[in-house]
Amino acid sequence: MKKRMVALLAGISLAALLAGGCASKEAVKKEEPIQPSAGISMTESAKPVDTAEQARLAELARLARLAEQARPAEQARLDALKAAALELKFQTVYFDFDKADLRQDARDVLSKNAEVILKSVAGTKVQIEGHCDERGSAEYNLALGEGRARSVQKYLTTLGVKADVLSIISYGKEKPAVKGSDEAAWAKNRRAEFVIVK
Amino acid sequence: MKNWLFVILLVALPAVISAQSDYIEVNAPGNRQMKLAVEPSRAVDGSPTVDPVRHSADVIAFDMNMSGVVIAESRSLQLPAGNLSMADVNYAPWLSAGFDMLIRSELSLKGDQLTVEFRLFDVINRKMITAKRYLGTAKDLRRFSHSFADEILRVLTGEKGVFTTRIAYVSTQSGNKEIYVMDWDGYNPLPLTKNGSINLNPDFSPDGREIIFTSYKRRNPDLYRRSLSSPVEVPLSNRKGLNITGSWSPDGSKIALALSKDGDAEIYTLDKDGSHPTRLTTNPALDLYPAWSPDGKQIAFVSDRLGKPQIFVMKATGGEVRRLTTAGSYNVNPRWSPKGDKIAYSRMVSGGFHIFTIGTDGSSDTQLTTEGSNENPSWSADGRLICFSSVRSSGNGVYVMRADGTGQRKVSQVKGTYFQPVWSAH
Repeated sequence: MKKRMVALLAGISLAALLAGGCASKEAVKKEEPIQPSAGISMTESAKPVDTAEQARLAELARLARLAEQARPAEQARLDALKAAALELKFQTVYFDFDKADLRQDARDVLSKNAEVILKSVAGTKVQIEGHCDERGSAEYNLALGEGRARSVQKYLTTLGVKADVLSIISYGKEKPAVKGSDEAAWAKNRRAEFVIVK
Repeated sequence: MKNWLFVILLVALPAVISAQSDYIEVNAPGNRQMKLAVEPSRAVDGSPTVDPVRHSADVIAFDMNMSGVVIAESRSLQLPAGNLSMADVNYAPWLSAGFDMLIRSELSLKGDQLTVEFRLFDVINRKMITAKRYLGTAKDLRRFSHSFADEILRVLTGEKGVFTTRIAYVSTQSGNKEIYVMDWDGYNPLPLTKNGSINLNPDFSPDGREIIFTSYKRRNPDLYRRSLSSPVEVPLSNRKGLNITGSWSPDGSKIALALSKDGDAEIYTLDKDGSHPTRLTTNPALDLYPAWSPDGKQIAFVSDRLGKPQIFVMKATGGEVRRLTTAGSYNVNPRWSPKGDKIAYSRMVSGGFHIFTIGTDGSSDTQLTTEGSNENPSWSADGRLICFSSVRSSGNGVYVMRADGTGQRKVSQVKGTYFQPVWSAH
């Protein structure tokens, strides 16, 4: 969760940058009529001024090009930001040790998560990640984690989420949410998370 | 694999070898274990008498000790100066020092050009048993030494040693799980994958030239195949869901693995190109980690169909499933011994794991490790040794032990966490 907040904040500052980028592009357009004044640079007296002006214009043109080039990347960042914002609305589901079936608290969380999905824009794809605590073999946990993700997927479809919106993946014990080798850490790592995918 | 030249100078003539069975009975009951002295190499032709000289003797002594066939020692005796000839052995001092056999070697290094000759002598019967001469470059010395250790084992036991084989493993040295390969004794570690994703469970092809492994590099646990000598990672099975715990059949024609494309994890076999999946298990429980019997007719695997993960055995075409492990509540990682008589596995014991072996009929269930937590056993091709990953106070890493649990040694050299080691065939 913390990671996501950081990602979101990073996203927001990117958005700020992005807004700045657009502004400079506007500025370039406004400056365009001034272009002919470049001709004045030929006169001796105006030379220092013109040099500065030329540099300024060149810089503006450069920024405009950069902004243009950055467009697709900005769009991708915007999408990522939206996805991160949507992901924040999902709550993580937790499991008992060596179990893939859903506890009552998990069902409560999933009905809220189902609402988030149902209210999201058409075309949103959600992947359910199944995770395990560090106990047990890596290989068995891959299969167990998938069982957890599948339980969540099944329950969400019973709540009206269309099957083609959902996909699952298991990370077994390869991506713990928290470090530590006690019950508190293990409980936080036996989980299913929700991510927006393309 | 054999990118170096070797020439048998003094051929171990068949007559000589057959004579050995009369002379050396390493497995004869009541016989004490024989002692082998490995003399540091003599540098000839003005070659620098530096590290490699000692090195070679240490390599052979380590190999022979781990084999468990003899007790070996890197050792030199004070001999009169001018004892120049390889063949001219003064046996008496070796005999009185308690040795039954002696290895003497001569080494010449001109620039990068290495020539080394090893001879094995029978101290008691005062004769040479075998000899080999190798030509290569300086970096080949360890390999040549391992190769001569293989030759000694062949002469003493009639079976080829595994000292030129390699171990592939997963390590987090680079920050994420990547696959590496090293010599069986931990030297020459090389990174294989460098994709920055999660890479798991390498397994060697029977010829040792390729590996299969699972990687998340395309956001799904897919099975890939790659050569050890080329970085190209070819997707072999990227079916929906899990494509994990791939295991190459002994004849190289098939790959067994766990797929979840039809629901939960089940055992399938694929052709070696990844095509023609054949489902072997049909069970609502988790089935994974297939391990072939050496004749390719049976497959051991992990299943939690009775609640907790246990090891089962079935026909390699599916069916005739029987439970193998009955003790312990969590048994995983089966690997069939090359001789076919045992299965090594890991059992969860009070939170950690230990390595066990069990007869294929379920008898002689034996615990081999007691320290730390130990997982993913894998047999050497001759069945004498088992490698495994260990987390223990004396150091985490890839360990090697004899098949009876003795001689546990950490072989991985670089500090870090190691997972899922697998031993190549010959």
